[in-house]
Amino acid sequence: MSTTTASVATEQYNYGIVKKFAIMAMIWGVLGMLAGVYIASELAWPFLNFNIAEITFGRLRPVHTTLVIFGFGGSALFATSYYIVQRTCQARLWGGKLLPELTFWGWQLALVLGVITYMAGYTQGREYAEFVWPIDLLIAVVWVLYFAVYAMTLVKRSQPHIYVANWFFMGYILAVALLHIFNNLQVPVAWNSLESYALFGGVQDAMTQWWYGHNAVGFYLTVSFLGMMYYFVPKQAGRPIYSYRLSIVHFWALSFLYMWVGAHHLHWTALPDWVSTLAAAFSILLLLPSWGGMINGIMTLSGAWEKLRTDPIMLFLITALAFYGMSTFEGPMMSLKSVNALSHYTDWTIGHVHSGALGWVAMITIGSFYHLIPRLWGTTLYSTKLVFVHFWLATIGVVLYIVALWVAGIGQGLMLRAFDQYGNLAYTFIETVSFLHIPYVVRAIGGAFFLSGMLLMSYNIYMTISGARQPASDEGRDAVAAAAR
Amino acid sequence: MSQTENKQGQVETTGHVWDGDLREYNNPLPRWWLWAFYVTIVFSVVYWILYPAWPYGDSYTKGINTVEYTVEGEDGEEKTVSEHWNTRALFTRDMQSSPSALAQEEWVGKVKDMSFEEIEQDPDTLQFAMSMGNYTFGDYCAACHGAGGQGKIGLFPNLADNAWLYGNSYETIVNKINNGIQGMMPAQNVAEDKIDDLATYVLSLSGEAEISGEAASRGKQAFASCAGCHGAEGKGNEAMGAPNLADAIWGVADVPGCGDDVACKVDEIKHVVNNGIQREMPAFGDRLTETQARMLAIYVRQMGGN
Repeated sequence: MSTTTASVATEQYNYGIVKKFAIMAMIWGVLGMLAGVYIASELAWPFLNFNIAEITFGRLRPVHTTLVIFGFGGSALFATSYYIVQRTCQARLWGGKLLPELTFWGWQLALVLGVITYMAGYTQGREYAEFVWPIDLLIAVVWVLYFAVYAMTLVKRSQPHIYVANWFFMGYILAVALLHIFNNLQVPVAWNSLESYALFGGVQDAMTQWWYGHNAVGFYLTVSFLGMMYYFVPKQAGRPIYSYRLSIVHFWALSFLYMWVGAHHLHWTALPDWVSTLAAAFSILLLLPSWGGMINGIMTLSGAWEKLRTDPIMLFLITALAFYGMSTFEGPMMSLKSVNALSHYTDWTIGHVHSGALGWVAMITIGSFYHLIPRLWGTTLYSTKLVFVHFWLATIGVVLYIVALWVAGIGQGLMLRAFDQYGNLAYTFIETVSFLHIPYVVRAIGGAFFLSGMLLMSYNIYMTISGARQPASDEGRDAVAAAAR
Repeated sequence: MSQTENKQGQVETTGHVWDGDLREYNNPLPRWWLWAFYVTIVFSVVYWILYPAWPYGDSYTKGINTVEYTVEGEDGEEKTVSEHWNTRALFTRDMQSSPSALAQEEWVGKVKDMSFEEIEQDPDTLQFAMSMGNYTFGDYCAACHGAGGQGKIGLFPNLADNAWLYGNSYETIVNKINNGIQGMMPAQNVAEDKIDDLATYVLSLSGEAEISGEAASRGKQAFASCAGCHGAEGKGNEAMGAPNLADAIWGVADVPGCGDDVACKVDEIKHVVNNGIQREMPAFGDRLTETQARMLAIYVRQMGGN
């Protein structure tokens, strides 16, 4: 390949939109994780509320979840899916300049409005879907555009076959459209009011909420990031995907099975027992299809393990898959009724979510971005050493976080169900809360580790991009050409 | 190593290439993976056979697991019923026959016909009372009265001192727990030129301030309108929950918070006199069992000595 590859690529493909989303993913990631560390600290040291309504836990928590899921995760998915679909279809993004730009500005507007409304106290009260109804409508429009841009790019591809990563992205876009619409069926109080009522009531409403909630995890945070994995792992490893057959089987198994399991969030409630059983059993069935993705990723590296010593990007990608495997094992276990009786309403659930969110989603994104960003700007990474440091900061952060919340969750769960020899409850609720203090402190420290890694990454990426704007020496150009291979 | 074969050199890729170098091997599904998947399928089928699972029509498969518990029939006879596994039946069964439920039932039966004094004198039943009182107090009372019953001055009475607004008979404590309390002192309209003397006089009852001569007689005169509830000597009235003003224990006016600053103490008293008091403790009778309320009374009285 010649030095002209990068410039040809920028003309052949729409990289501008990918760059924009990538940068916003970093910004939202830092802000969202900062909010996360702050609310984690509020739980450990409640005085941090400072009696300011806007920054209390209840209002900042949706700011945190929205910014990390939709801001960081969402923007990263837009960036990588737009990049991957163009490169694997050898086609420029459909929709001219306008439509992809609209998905960008619409998405960012929804995030900004979301943060403002949450802090002002407006929320729909639905977990991971706290946006008030006008923002829901905006998101629906953006998502339809996203679907159109993505699907039409696939249609006009100049490759005979559709690469596996694209099935996953397509599956996620379709499923999220379905989830977003049905979970947000709301009747506004008035056209000029931000308040609205859910169309469903009682246990149906709870089921809709958790059908959405768990599939947001399933499709928004799993299927889509598997799409990311299926491109960046073989690219970075320089090896073929381990098994085409496995990718087909686990894709369809995941897509079919995920839709059933949301009700496992509602065990031991007013939910009918049969719904509970189905959700638990389908969660167990989901274990191996989930592992299919992990196996395909890790086995792709098989035969090139020595790369883990020298390539911190590969370390991120493989560690992400390991965390993915761990949390998709933990999840089905927690969805069994008997385990759930202990784990539900405790911080074990929060720890589980973060082993997926930090260990899997964030790490696969970070690895992918370290691969992606130098290629987008036609340069090389400013510092590989800093990527190593970031890897350890992130890994230590995740481990501290999930271990702290295992202790917190299992400990509190056991305390809540303990009886003394008189058959009386052994602990008051407040005693179980005081017990949480130390795990909460450790959790906040774990979060701070992860956040500091993100800050380091921001610096590394900033230096990479600003370096790319300097006129490159011949040596630099050669390195670029090698990297853009 | 060639891109088209794996390390065994046997498996081919699918032959498709994307983006320059993206290829896929056509490895078969890993054996262990496939068998593990079959195991989860078997597990699920067993789970479905054991528990209520699949809906059909307006019913659902009930599963073969059953739960047994006892009900009282119309004739007053206890009989055992068996239902398919369901969370309500499970709850009923656990409340009837789990080891902790049985242990609690035994102790509740033991103290049922005992008087408060008898329970208090028997170390075993006292231990039970403290155990039941502890979690009941922690979950229902501590949010206001504090984990140690220390209360919050001006808001929630201190239960750990020796001053009992309504007296400390067990019957009274149980009655207040069950029915709640409306604590009310009306705001007093005391003339501007008398209120300082009144406040100082009130403080002098417990030696918090000194007052003499004409000021003392003006203060005492003004106190006449307080004496209706607090008594002529300010010793309070348990029947009305009017506190003793002469015992140097302060529940509403934060006199201790003033240290030696008499002017501050006077202001505290004046504030109470001018504004009155309006406090409410909700009734807990509907939320506690009879035994819980009784054991709680013993627990609360233990906090405050006698």
